[in-house]
Amino acid sequence: MTAWIDASCILIVFFALAMLATHRLIGVIQLFAAQAFVLGFVPFFLHAHDLSGRDITLALGTLVLKAGLVPYILFWAIRRVSMRSEIKPIIGVGASLIFGALLIAGAFWVSLSLKLPGKPLSDLILPCSLATVLLGFMIMVTRTLAVAQVLGYLMMENGIFLFGLSLFDAMPVIMEMGILLDIFVAVFIMAIVVNHINEAFERSPGSNRGKMGESG
Amino acid sequence: MILPALIFVPFTGALLAFLPLKNAARCFLFLAVALVHAGLVASCWRQLPAAQFDGALVLDPLGLIMLSIDTFLFLSLAVYMIGYFEHEQRNNRNFMACLLFVLSAMSVVAMSYHMGLLWVSVETTTLLSAPLISFHRTPQSLEATWKYLLICSVGIALALLGTFFLAIAAHDVHTLLLPSLLNGAPLLLVNWLKLSVIFLFVGYGCKMGLAPTHSWKPEAYGQATGMVVVVMAGALTQCAFLALLRVSQICHKTGLTEFYGSILILSAVLSLIVPALFVLGEKNIKRAFAYSSIEHMGLLVLGLGLGGAGVFGALFHMINNALAKVIMFFTAGSIAQKYGSARVGDVRGVLHVYPVTGVFLIVGFLAGTGMFPFATFHSELMILNAAITSKHYVLAVVVVACLALVFVGIGRIILEAAQGEASAPVLEKKENIFMNTAIGLGAAGLFVLGVWLPVPLERVIRAAAALVGA
Repeated sequence: MTAWIDASCILIVFFALAMLATHRLIGVIQLFAAQAFVLGFVPFFLHAHDLSGRDITLALGTLVLKAGLVPYILFWAIRRVSMRSEIKPIIGVGASLIFGALLIAGAFWVSLSLKLPGKPLSDLILPCSLATVLLGFMIMVTRTLAVAQVLGYLMMENGIFLFGLSLFDAMPVIMEMGILLDIFVAVFIMAIVVNHINEAFERSPGSNRGKMGESG
Repeated sequence: MILPALIFVPFTGALLAFLPLKNAARCFLFLAVALVHAGLVASCWRQLPAAQFDGALVLDPLGLIMLSIDTFLFLSLAVYMIGYFEHEQRNNRNFMACLLFVLSAMSVVAMSYHMGLLWVSVETTTLLSAPLISFHRTPQSLEATWKYLLICSVGIALALLGTFFLAIAAHDVHTLLLPSLLNGAPLLLVNWLKLSVIFLFVGYGCKMGLAPTHSWKPEAYGQATGMVVVVMAGALTQCAFLALLRVSQICHKTGLTEFYGSILILSAVLSLIVPALFVLGEKNIKRAFAYSSIEHMGLLVLGLGLGGAGVFGALFHMINNALAKVIMFFTAGSIAQKYGSARVGDVRGVLHVYPVTGVFLIVGFLAGTGMFPFATFHSELMILNAAITSKHYVLAVVVVACLALVFVGIGRIILEAAQGEASAPVLEKKENIFMNTAIGLGAAGLFVLGVWLPVPLERVIRAAAALVGA
């Protein structure tokens, strides 16, 4: 099953990189959903021989919340808001891809010196999750659109969660579900705030509309 | 059954707040919940209740201090808001529900003995407090909400990574329950633990508003109503400090006290210098108080970092800081409602128009900057004393200089707002008895603690400091 885990890890980083290179907001949300979908299958691959209730709960939770409800809420947010759907990054696509590649290389280099205790199922989990966290962080700081920043944050969470999935004995399943639920609530509240930001600026026509979806 | 009750009473109250009620009725619902919560906490002072949920929920002296702070703040808030909502037309349904959910989540923070549960509950408090900031839905307040939400979410995400690193370090312990971690300290993998400590510190430090991740604080505190800021500055940020105290417990058992202490002291110095520089140019009373809050967080972290007597000082300062915030931000909020602004210039001559509020403004300034006879003076002195006895002389000088600068910076605008020719307020020229009672409660508490430290309180603080190894 190690081959499947490795493939999932690589796909997750690949989607992260694709999100960095995508201009249209809808495309980024779709890529995020795809990434979360792959993430949802990782618990199955990790313990393919003796599937427990924990794995099934986690996989279902991830699939329903992250690959289903979260993208749905984000679509709702951008539809209601009728915001510019083009992402204007601070740095161009070419530069951000090169920088992203450097971050991935950095993540692999750092994880060489970090040795996981016990016998890890795959050597790719640690570097890939670090790379996803770093790429998510990069999206957060280089995008000016509020929804794009939320997506960067979610990608960071995906990276952290990929890492957390491999720690099955220290984290009881109820905690992991709590973490998932928290992320869901985070997106819900962020979407509502994005909505309020727009309403507030539509009410006051004198204000600079360029600032509305963007925030500091 | 006391521990689950502490969580479920405010939770039920929050659900009840969604019923179609009048604003005033929700205020009384809030008061009722706060009273029941306070009663439950008072019963914990007689005897610490038994652990629940396989040891995931335990109330120890550290948690008891935090829980008592929470419940006191909410009780004074319940009194204050009766006065506030006399002049507020906006429906307070979501506002009340979020506040009560936050109280419920903060109760979990205070008694969670599992590092994963601690993270989940701290994150919940962050998320549910965000909508509170933009109660008035002005563009500026929404921007502040966004900043708070984003900075704190990223910070807390790093804390989650830190929690997972801790889980790796605890590979041979197989759990993140605090007692097991402390008992199995020799089994922890030190390299992963160090990495985990750094991430946990950065994450929870973000939530505390320590420099250099403090930038959400002046915005959020400047825009939110005084009630919300009291909860944020007095309780939420200190919940994050409780998380740092838990990390400190682990570091103490694994011999990482010095490693952790040096991180804490470095961050504390930054958090003292930044407000000292920025408060001097500030014109807004609430924003100026926000800088004072960064400074107080710096003092807490400094006390913990110095260890020994500093820990006692920091724990005592937690209580005093919460009480000082009650006076400062309730008064600032009351002024902001009366004048429609908290900027000096719009607000002048408060002493002439509202004598009681004006006096409280000056009291808040003195209490917040740590002047005698308020208890903040004693706790700041204890922390300073710890710096001197541990031979950190340069540090002590820096601390005193920063405290003096903040005193000058805040004193300048507070005295300008309190005295001088009166500017015209928006509301009628009448003092509000509920608001002043709530502020008076905080002021009385801080004054009493300043002249007399009750024996049971001292005993609990000593027991709590012993947990951190002081």
